[in-house]
Amino acid sequence: MKKVLVVVLAVVLMVAMVVGCTQQEQPAAEEPAAEEPAAEEPAAEEPAAEEPAAEEPAAEEPASMDLTIGYVCNFMSHEWYQNVCNGAQQRADELGVTLEIADANNDAAQQVSFAENFIAKGVDILALTPVDAKALTSVVSMATEAGIPVITESNPVGGEVTCVGTDNKEAGKKAGLWFGEYGIENDLELVFLIVGFPNFEDCRLRVEGFKEGLEESGANYRIAQEVDSEGGKEQALSVSTDACTANPDINAIFGINDDSTQGGIQGYKSAGLDEANLHALGFGLEGVVGREALLNDTPIVAELAMFPDFVGAGIIDAAVKHNAGEELSERFLTPTTVITPDTYADYYTQEGDKWVMNFAAVDALNG
Amino acid sequence: MEKLEKRGNVFGRIMQNELSMLVVALIGLMVVFSILTEVFFTPLNLLNVLRQVSYNAIAAIGMAMIIISGEIDLSVGSLQALAGVLAVMALNATGNVVVAVVVALAISIAAGVANGVLVTVLGLNSFIATLATMAIWRGMIMIITNAVSQIISVPDFSKIGTASVAGIPIPIIIMVVLVVVFHFVLNNSAFGRYIYAVGGNRESAKLAGLNVKKIKMLVYILGNLLFGVSAVILTARLDSGQPNAGEGMEMNVVAATVLGGVSMTGGTGTLLGAIVGVVILGVIQNGLVLLNVNSFWQDVVRGIVIILAVYLDVRRKISVEKRLLRESQQAQQA
Repeated sequence: MKKVLVVVLAVVLMVAMVVGCTQQEQPAAEEPAAEEPAAEEPAAEEPAAEEPAAEEPAAEEPASMDLTIGYVCNFMSHEWYQNVCNGAQQRADELGVTLEIADANNDAAQQVSFAENFIAKGVDILALTPVDAKALTSVVSMATEAGIPVITESNPVGGEVTCVGTDNKEAGKKAGLWFGEYGIENDLELVFLIVGFPNFEDCRLRVEGFKEGLEESGANYRIAQEVDSEGGKEQALSVSTDACTANPDINAIFGINDDSTQGGIQGYKSAGLDEANLHALGFGLEGVVGREALLNDTPIVAELAMFPDFVGAGIIDAAVKHNAGEELSERFLTPTTVITPDTYADYYTQEGDKWVMNFAAVDALNG
Repeated sequence: MEKLEKRGNVFGRIMQNELSMLVVALIGLMVVFSILTEVFFTPLNLLNVLRQVSYNAIAAIGMAMIIISGEIDLSVGSLQALAGVLAVMALNATGNVVVAVVVALAISIAAGVANGVLVTVLGLNSFIATLATMAIWRGMIMIITNAVSQIISVPDFSKIGTASVAGIPIPIIIMVVLVVVFHFVLNNSAFGRYIYAVGGNRESAKLAGLNVKKIKMLVYILGNLLFGVSAVILTARLDSGQPNAGEGMEMNVVAATVLGGVSMTGGTGTLLGAIVGVVILGVIQNGLVLLNVNSFWQDVVRGIVIILAVYLDVRRKISVEKRLLRESQQAQQA
């Protein structure tokens, strides 16, 4: 009897694995052309609608160029980096560039090893999103000695050709200015909960910029409390519940990424406060979560969009430009802007049940 | 003089009883926070704390049983994501809350069987075996979701984490029921005594005729089933299936369990102790956020409290040992 039970349970686990893996195959097939991996429902109906899109990269193939980029991403277990990698892969396919991606899984030592492997392999350009910029200086000099130019994303290491990414402080400032003006327009006294992640410099800069923007806007505001979400929704929910309990007059939330903002909103509700009085602005618009929150009836009034696909494409563009002998400046800035439910369609177009980034519209933001 | 001795005895008895020592520590913390912030000791905030610790507490019941049986399970955090996300997928596909919960629990039982087989049948060290399954479960959920959170399209499911019955949040009710049931199982059933026996001394348990492998297997299955319950609550609370859910949870749950007096070597400890351990950690986090203490300092304070609590526990054990030694010497002399 017990053996039967064990067998039955083992079969359940196997079925779960098989179901899981087959569900995964479909988004994978869509990826080359899609803005985001299949979202909430990687279910069976999708592939047919998506197939024509998948042909696009193939059509571009004649433009093949002899360039291999090795990219060590810092943490692909996050939707943001999934979309950065998708954007990079898509642009690489368009230009006929060979792109190899490795995932450091948030481990600085592993990132060094992967980078060394790419150097040994003799890629033409090494791209890195640092887990910890300070841990990469020796790798960058090693690559430079081997004659391999390095491009970083997000955080500069020193010694690289250029650093691709958004200006976090400037983006935070835009968000702060926008929120301040929103408060003035709606005649609100904004009482803020800031859901941050102070361990990371990028996230600290976002908050710093946000505060500067708020101040500059001339809005009537007060920061009731700043909490540490550690970047995740779980912790954000728990600390925000406590902060909203201690400060029930909070009526505005700024979160340093979509999970932090969402966790903050959940926490506000958990503390027994009425969502109708809450105004929230999320930083990132990283993918499905941010989009759903923005477009549906939630306290999110706007999102600071960072366009992950564009950042990914930027890595490839910078590499191609450098390869063509073009001189690049220290920072290869990708655009950010505040998007409201009304302006979302200016930057993203719905194709079936997917939203694809309007490359030209985002590019135009660069001025 | 007589009075003094009596007082000494009362204090001594508190010192010697593991649980009351922890409860004293918890009450001390609560008094401190109540003095420092008036928000702390309000019904709303106390319910917040209990709701926040509910899923960790339920997982700690499972972890305590597994540790008492002489093993460990580090895959608890990854299982939160695996069971939670697949439950949301099942929920969105069928629209049925019961199906979603059954899927989460079935996956958890299967995971318990897998861990149990690795440890009892293949004889792997449980620390290593569950470190491996922790990586496998997390990897599987990343493959399935591509790291994208799964949004819940049936709001009824989220009520498991957010709704209340008679003013008491559902997660707290589930926690209390499970604590009572498993406290009874551990203390008043033969199976409970077997768990202590196999964890205390595997060889003598075997010689006494217990089927050690079978007992450990059952403990893993029950433990993982409880992890599955915590996954359902966590997922409902987060209102989404998060592939990163439960990251680092194994550390919190193991720390709370050990803080609660469950010995890492197995065989000793109580379920209520483990629960008080979870609540202590929850109260510390809650109080520090209410006081708006910088998050970096929160880590430091949390670490210091754990060291203090474990130090008191070590002192208590030494004093109990001394007392036993003295008593046995006195008995011999008599």
